[in-house]
Amino acid sequence: MTSKIINMAERLKDDEDRLLESLFASAPIADDGFSTMIEKRVRRQLWLRRMVLPVAALVGAIISFKPLAGLVTMLAGLTTLIPQDVLKVPSDVVPQLPMLFMGAMLLAMCMLGLRALQE
Amino acid sequence: MREDHELVSRAVSLQDAAAFGELVRRHQSHVRNFLRKLSGDFTAADDLAQDCFMHAWDKLHTYSGRGSFIGWLLKVAYTTFLQSKRKSKRYAEILEQVGHVTEAESRGYTVQADEVTDLDRFLAVLSEEERAVMVMSYACGLSHREISEATAMPIGTVKSVIFRGKEKIRTNFDIKDHQHG
Repeated sequence: MTSKIINMAERLKDDEDRLLESLFASAPIADDGFSTMIEKRVRRQLWLRRMVLPVAALVGAIISFKPLAGLVTMLAGLTTLIPQDVLKVPSDVVPQLPMLFMGAMLLAMCMLGLRALQE
Repeated sequence: MREDHELVSRAVSLQDAAAFGELVRRHQSHVRNFLRKLSGDFTAADDLAQDCFMHAWDKLHTYSGRGSFIGWLLKVAYTTFLQSKRKSKRYAEILEQVGHVTEAESRGYTVQADEVTDLDRFLAVLSEEERAVMVMSYACGLSHREISEATAMPIGTVKSVIFRGKEKIRTNFDIKDHQHG
């Protein structure tokens, strides 16, 4: 109710207000490719944003390939430290258990890395 | 024809550049006119308008749908203008520190059009704040509430700024005798 009264009061313009309105009025500015230019810039920005994550992941993979290979070798070495008795029983059940264990570790690391990149 | 609100939700949810392009087509004239009147420099104003629309694209998700879209857009334009003023002021200060003489800081409203209109003369007597509020009110047709939201001023302050601006124009010119700007 109060805002309606305020709006009505605003609409009750005097002659001076109308004169100022006509003085401040100006002809519309022709577009002349302005909006097309903005649209292009927006499309370019969208494309760049979409490309950043895959490109960053690729660059990260290339950079981390050598250290990652070293890590895998080190992890493979660690499996020899586990007592054979412990490994034997599950290995009998699932023969590729050490491989699966390493795969799961790598997957978890990749997912954490991707999440960090996204953030 | 789609409403502004529909185009905004399309642009935000689908990242639809064409929908945003349509919004730019509809409102570019208002935004450019506003910035031209505010800065007095047509080229700089058009550069600022580009920055303004790119900021608007980045912040589009913050438009709540309350109030008109042009009101929100002019708020972005005014913020962009103030940011650019601050940047050029800092630049002028650095230049001064290294001993360069600069006019940039002291320059208020300088018209770079071929012909100086009555409106340019009116705008020249107003402060930057008064100019922004008067242009929003009389050139863009925004309500006091919309101006208050765009400039982050209380409604009472908006009204007194308009009153002060009118008073200045009245004191300096006989507006009844002037041609349209």
